[in-house]
Amino acid sequence: MPSSELQAVLDAAVDAIILIDHGGCVQVFNRAAERLFGYTAQHILGRNVSMLMSERDRDQHDAYMERYLRTNVAHIIGIGREIQGRRKDGSVFPAFLSVGRIAGSDPPRFVGFIHDITLRMQALAAVQRERDRANRYLEAAQTMLVALELNHRVTLVNRKGCEVLGYEEEALLGVDWFETIVPAEQRATAMREFDALAQREPRLPYHCEYAVLTRSGMRRQIAWRCVVIEASKETATRVLCSGDDVTDARSAEAEAREARERMLHVSRLATLGEMASGISHELNQPLAAIANYAQASRRLLSTAPTALTDVDEALEQIAAQALRAGEIIRRLRSLVRNHATDRELASINDVIEELGSLARADARASDVRIVLDLRPDLPRLRLDRIQIQQVLLNLLRNSIDALEASPPERKEVVIRTEPDGIGDILITVTDTGPGVPDELLQRLFMPFVTSKIDGTGLGLAISRTIVEAHGGRLDHKANTPSGATFIVKLPAEQGPEA
Amino acid sequence: MREPSATVFVIDDDDAVRNSLRLLLKSVGLPVQICASAQQFLPSYDPRQPGCLVLDIRMPGMSGLELQQQLNVRGAIIPVVFITGHGDIPMAVEAMQHGAFDFLQKPFRDQDLIDRVQRALERDAANRAQLKETERIRSRLESLTPREREVLELVTLGKANKVMAHELGVSQRTVEIHRARVMEKMAAHSLAQLVRMMLTLRGSAPAPP
Repeated sequence: MPSSELQAVLDAAVDAIILIDHGGCVQVFNRAAERLFGYTAQHILGRNVSMLMSERDRDQHDAYMERYLRTNVAHIIGIGREIQGRRKDGSVFPAFLSVGRIAGSDPPRFVGFIHDITLRMQALAAVQRERDRANRYLEAAQTMLVALELNHRVTLVNRKGCEVLGYEEEALLGVDWFETIVPAEQRATAMREFDALAQREPRLPYHCEYAVLTRSGMRRQIAWRCVVIEASKETATRVLCSGDDVTDARSAEAEAREARERMLHVSRLATLGEMASGISHELNQPLAAIANYAQASRRLLSTAPTALTDVDEALEQIAAQALRAGEIIRRLRSLVRNHATDRELASINDVIEELGSLARADARASDVRIVLDLRPDLPRLRLDRIQIQQVLLNLLRNSIDALEASPPERKEVVIRTEPDGIGDILITVTDTGPGVPDELLQRLFMPFVTSKIDGTGLGLAISRTIVEAHGGRLDHKANTPSGATFIVKLPAEQGPEA
Repeated sequence: MREPSATVFVIDDDDAVRNSLRLLLKSVGLPVQICASAQQFLPSYDPRQPGCLVLDIRMPGMSGLELQQQLNVRGAIIPVVFITGHGDIPMAVEAMQHGAFDFLQKPFRDQDLIDRVQRALERDAANRAQLKETERIRSRLESLTPREREVLELVTLGKANKVMAHELGVSQRTVEIHRARVMEKMAAHSLAQLVRMMLTLRGSAPAPP
């Protein structure tokens, strides 16, 4: 090949090509080498190649050459290695060097191909940094991270996971997660949900909650969020589960719930205590009637044994009155019982009418009339019957107390139900008493605020809590010319059941 | 005119209690009228009607106590047996202070009610008899002349004829004539009977045996 053609080939190469003699003197320096190192060929030809190397490589280069020439054993030729090149401006860059001995040259000459790997090294470093960071996150995470294969084998567990479970990482890797960690009675369900997750399309993150058993046999309640890690669009390979230990939160929730139940219960008992006189009167009525009917029947049977029509009527009434008394006791019991929160779909009118006998007993004792104005055909509500009755009893009692000094013809409380036109139900309790004093208006629903001498100041606060827990509102409105209206707004149940 | 028969009026707003009381009283042969409220009872009640009231102390609208006061204002003398609940003792005491005949706590034994009702009816009969007697005495008293009234006053004070003659400035004979006239007009057979009549009129005498 003519030397001009050879020069053209050399100059067309992308990598730098440098030819040196056995003394390291540069004999060829192609165009790419000029671009890479910043020297012109003219400047570099005849000089020692070591000026193109970093200080570190320069010493090694001399040693390599010396050894090769002495022993003929190559450490680099045909293999290549990473080196640090040095540009004209003194800057250093990573490069990959392949070296070959020019066949038949003696003393030997060498050709070197130098490929700039700056970008590749940068990319590698970035990947490494990313991996380090991910690992740090994984380890620093205050959430448990566990990766499972589809066959339930553990392939990854972070420090938090080990900490909660009480195992070393090595002890967990490779074990069957559900067999080892999940308590027996929850195992089947947890496993079924996991298996379904891998099958399901689309593969959305999945939330579940199940307990784990620590190595010491403790049980911790964990809320899990699982995502499928996909090898390709079609195949799931692993599931990454992050878990938060919610044991303490759950028990705190349960405690708070219990405390709330207790408070509601105590407040109900207090309300019923205030109503005791009215209720005992209301119970006495049917009992008195039963006694009268029974005694009258005995007399009739002994003095006028043919008066069976009267006796029959008396017996019928005895049965009816016994049921009436039983009904009052049943209502009372359900309000006295410390029951667990229990929501059901119910007609608000039924809930109010159920309260009727107790409410009337209370009202009667204070000579107050209760007027029910209940709109028929209202949608049903999802509610805790006892709690809503507690709210209404509270409001009713407030009204009855407010009417104490009113003239007899104004002693009336109206309980009304109506739709509000936008899907909610309004229950209003209205009286014509003196109304809420101005100085109380701002603090009406705050606990321990009361205008009653023996009031606890908890009634309205608790009532509002109950109504809000039902997704509703409890508000007050002043009446003209006087009196108070309390408005309970409850959301109607949506959907076909309603 | 024939006297209307004694009737037990039961006033209670509770249907069951009211009807059971009616049946109970009917079973011992007492005439009963029932009424669901005090307001309903009051305008229809004729004070001349003998009997007694069995009255629920606690009712919406006009309570038993208020009805009792209304009847007192109208001068009705009908005895009232109040029916009370457990918590109504203070009200029962108030009722007794206003002249109630008795009270019963619900529920009660039939015999207790019947006994009280019977006694109330007896009391009513006695009251009415006494009232009639008082009326009679009063009309006789009104037939006396002023001078005879003066003699009556002095006689019942236990003054001797001679003393009366001196005090009135008339002769002893004249006093004797007046006195005989008084005894005759008052239909009194003895001084003791005359004194009792005057005490009856003042409302401080025990009912005659």
